Amino acid sequence: MSDRGHIPESRQREKPRADLQWIGKSMKRVEDPRLLVGKGIYADDINVPEMAHAAVLRSPHAHARIVSIDASKAEALPGVLCVMTGADAAEVCDPLPTWASPPVLQAVIAHDRVRHVGEAVVAVAAEDRYIAEDACDLIEVEYEPLPPVVDPEEALTSTGDAVLHPERGDTNIGLERTLTFGPVEEDFAAADLVIERRFRWPRSGGQPLETVGAVASFDEGAGRFTIQCNTSMYNYCGWMIASTLRVAPHKLNIVPTLAGGSFGSKMFVHKVPVMAAVLARAVGRPVKFMEDRIDNTTSCDNHASDRVYYAKLALKQDGTLLSLKTRIIDDYGAYLQFGVGQHGNALSQCVGPYRINSVEVDLAAVLTNKCQQGAYRGFGSEVANFVIERLVDAAADELGVDRIALRRQNFIQPDQFPYLIPTGNMYDSGNYQAVLEETLKLADVEGWRAKQAEGRKEGRYIGIGVASCQERSVFSATEFWMWNLEPGVEWTSSPDGVSVKIDPTGKAFVTLHSPFWGNSPETVAAQVLAEQLTIDPSDIEITYSDTDQGLNSTGPGGSRFTVMVTGAIVGAAGKIREKLLRIAAHLMEADVRDLTLEDGAVQVKGVPDMKMSIAELADKAHYYRLSMPEDLDLTSGLDATYVYDHPVTTLPDPDERHMGIFYPIMGHSCHIPVVEVDIETGQVHFLHYAAVHDCGTMVNPMTLEGHIRGGTVNGIGTALFEEFSYDEAGQLTTALWTDYLIPTIKESPADIVVGHVETPSPFTEYGVKGGGEGGRMGGPPAIAAAIEDALKPLGVTIDSLPLPPSKLRALIREAQARSA
Amino acid sequence: MYPFTYHRPSSLDDAKARLAASEDGRLLAGGMSLLPTMRFRLASCADLVDLNGIEALAGIERGDGHVRVGAMTRHAAVAGSAEVREAIPALAALAGSIGDVQVRNRGTIGGSICFADPAADYPAGLLGLDATINTDRRAIGADDFFTGLYETALEEGEIAVSVEFAIPERAGWAKFGNQASRFAVVAVMVSQAAGGAVRLAVTGARTHVFRVTEMEQALAANFSEEALDGIPVSSEGLNEDLHADRDYRAHLIGVMARRAVRDALAR
Repeated sequence: MSDRGHIPESRQREKPRADLQWIGKSMKRVEDPRLLVGKGIYADDINVPEMAHAAVLRSPHAHARIVSIDASKAEALPGVLCVMTGADAAEVCDPLPTWASPPVLQAVIAHDRVRHVGEAVVAVAAEDRYIAEDACDLIEVEYEPLPPVVDPEEALTSTGDAVLHPERGDTNIGLERTLTFGPVEEDFAAADLVIERRFRWPRSGGQPLETVGAVASFDEGAGRFTIQCNTSMYNYCGWMIASTLRVAPHKLNIVPTLAGGSFGSKMFVHKVPVMAAVLARAVGRPVKFMEDRIDNTTSCDNHASDRVYYAKLALKQDGTLLSLKTRIIDDYGAYLQFGVGQHGNALSQCVGPYRINSVEVDLAAVLTNKCQQGAYRGFGSEVANFVIERLVDAAADELGVDRIALRRQNFIQPDQFPYLIPTGNMYDSGNYQAVLEETLKLADVEGWRAKQAEGRKEGRYIGIGVASCQERSVFSATEFWMWNLEPGVEWTSSPDGVSVKIDPTGKAFVTLHSPFWGNSPETVAAQVLAEQLTIDPSDIEITYSDTDQGLNSTGPGGSRFTVMVTGAIVGAAGKIREKLLRIAAHLMEADVRDLTLEDGAVQVKGVPDMKMSIAELADKAHYYRLSMPEDLDLTSGLDATYVYDHPVTTLPDPDERHMGIFYPIMGHSCHIPVVEVDIETGQVHFLHYAAVHDCGTMVNPMTLEGHIRGGTVNGIGTALFEEFSYDEAGQLTTALWTDYLIPTIKESPADIVVGHVETPSPFTEYGVKGGGEGGRMGGPPAIAAAIEDALKPLGVTIDSLPLPPSKLRALIREAQARSA
Repeated sequence: MYPFTYHRPSSLDDAKARLAASEDGRLLAGGMSLLPTMRFRLASCADLVDLNGIEALAGIERGDGHVRVGAMTRHAAVAGSAEVREAIPALAALAGSIGDVQVRNRGTIGGSICFADPAADYPAGLLGLDATINTDRRAIGADDFFTGLYETALEEGEIAVSVEFAIPERAGWAKFGNQASRFAVVAVMVSQAAGGAVRLAVTGARTHVFRVTEMEQALAANFSEEALDGIPVSSEGLNEDLHADRDYRAHLIGVMARRAVRDALAR
């Protein structure tokens, strides 16, 4: 075994093929008709008899001790059913689930101390939401303000009253650790050149159209909760919510609703369902808690990576990249929900598509008076992409070589896959040159270079940016715990399951064990099952399980869904196909080996007349088992479940020389935006945008393109507009969408020209790779590069985002002042 | 929201009577500002008198030397009006630059000017085009109408009925909108009347819309972008927020003024 680990054998059953009937077709989404006619049931559409409503009084302070709470007026208000403080809640539930070890304890309602603006201080359940909110207005809370900690680098040295969690020690460093992979010092010593830059990646987050909501009820007779909620991962770790609620896991059923958008932020919501549940148990009636927008932006799981990087890239004069060293300070806010899983994630592709021999990451996860980080499209890897791409651009500029040429020179070559990077993660396959060449063609870079030169003569500032980015897919659980200082949750499995049933008439039913959260789960399942059973997708119905019925399923997130559910359906369909063949073999008196499943019927090879349709066989399977010989070893019915394990994962090396294979299904993309900067205002306009993605075998090009375009606009938001911005007092100044600026169609390119390269994975069924996060992975570094290129005559350097007009104009003014 | 009684009168007199009868009444026009504020419980009232049922308040009419726009006319109607586009294309451009499609289909000129948001577009249109506001009681010149942050010259219970724009020789509109929300960070309406008089009004930059007399004088002598060269814009007293500090706003006033002149000359 090398220092980088070993690569297991592939378990792929279905090879990519050219003759697929449904996989690879741009089929319209199965989900759309009911959603488009307004028949989708979202969390706020859930209403149950006797349901009460909750509202939450939130902290106006970033950091304060709670001295006293007087809720007497609220309790006296007619229609109020329950007023619950943090102290009350602590008596009936435990801290919220966390992956951090040692943990940073987080309560559903703060007690003793508030640690960010918007943290819950008192919850009220009442006959309706109006009364609940009126009651919140009547509650008097006395606070003793403590020093707010807002700047991540200052948080490194906090002591005394500025420490958020004194029980963890006199520091706001939640976790600090250095991981070294390969001969970093030797590589730096051998370098001719070291590029050093400081980067600032802003806190932004997913902005779902529907906020997080839950309707919880508690059956006192059975001692059992039912929670309907727009969350994910409920069949992976929903039992953790039961632990928080102090009931046994089988005394909690989580029922998913449609998630009106997530972008990661609903990956594993815990505060809202726990809040609804503790109130429901207290009042003895079902309780609905729907966040309003401010609840959501100030106190949910939307906030994402908020990092300062001190990055060094070592390279030879001939352009050979050698080693990458980063000191990262990540502002996690007040708690560590997923531990520092976002940095586990980033280690999966931190060297980008390049051959880099060694890596060192020195991480300080600091705790500050902000909302805790959750999950958001990219989960930390999008930041690593930004850093490596900016460094490669800087290296090219420093060497005086073309930015594209330096990339080409250092790409991992097609014959080097599967390829282990220094951190131990594997890149399963790829063809980075092909993606780059295709993008250059679609972007017409030569043509734009000519227009750029013409434009400069007229005082126009046109720029072209290129980013070649990794698009890792299918996380394994390692990423959540690899950085932990103490052993905690150290799961190795992260499977996804499906249940498939063929009814007596031959119609197919698929149960998914993870939710709809804005992607196309039903379409994927229908296409793959149709392919497997040679039936029509319109003969397939898709439903979703709750935790009572659920099979272990990690759910969407980390661009997993398509790969994992494809794998699970291949597994389940295989069992069904085998049973169909065995029944048909008996009925047609043929040998199983002479049978084949084609066009929805089992056929004796070479004898066109001898066949039985799936419907005929299903009928026999359901109603005529006893007409068949007893020794046939068949049960009645035609159904199968299958839990598909992660296609290829290995564990971290005990000596931490590497972290194992944990995020191996490696997509790739190249983004080339062409921008024009109005140097008088600082405004950026897109003149063209080309993006080519390689997500392996495509299941549905149309929905993939939707992901790419939507993700790219997401990336434009991150690059140019979006920021959860806290002022010095720790107030969130962008809590509303009037200030948290989300790009609309007007801020987006007129068209995003999308292209594809298909390099199938040798490890997944059919060679599929995930593509759910792609656009946001590649957009920001490409846009930063394009803006820098546009402003090259002025000498502006881009090392922080976002770049709203005011900030870009300030950079331009500084550059103009320098040159004047 | 806090509870209130909703009224939907069908005539102006009925609206006035209902407003007068309430201790704490408010008028509802398009609701683009008032309703969100009420939803956040930052505003409330006992009686909400909805003007959307009064047909006579909406409509566009071209008269001799002027265009009259009813107070309840939607932004989309002004932006798409053949009369406005022909008589004062810059005004149509202004209306078309407000918010997004949904806002333009609901929001009204009367609602915009009576709410007098410091970042609203119409106040610059009225002041820059020398408009007159007709109320149920009197006519008020734009110079006298906008008096402060969210403040106008309207008296208690006074209702704006229409806005009358004098048709200028030429006019231009330039707006630097807040990204995504598209409220004006700085926007400028410039016009030149047949007699040569120039008006240049700026919105988004102070508590309320204002004219820049140095620029107006320079343009009256020579209506060209170059005429504005060297005219300093002080940042003193300008608005400062997350999206633009004072210096940036001052700079944008100069840039938008030149672009408004360019727009006027190109129309």
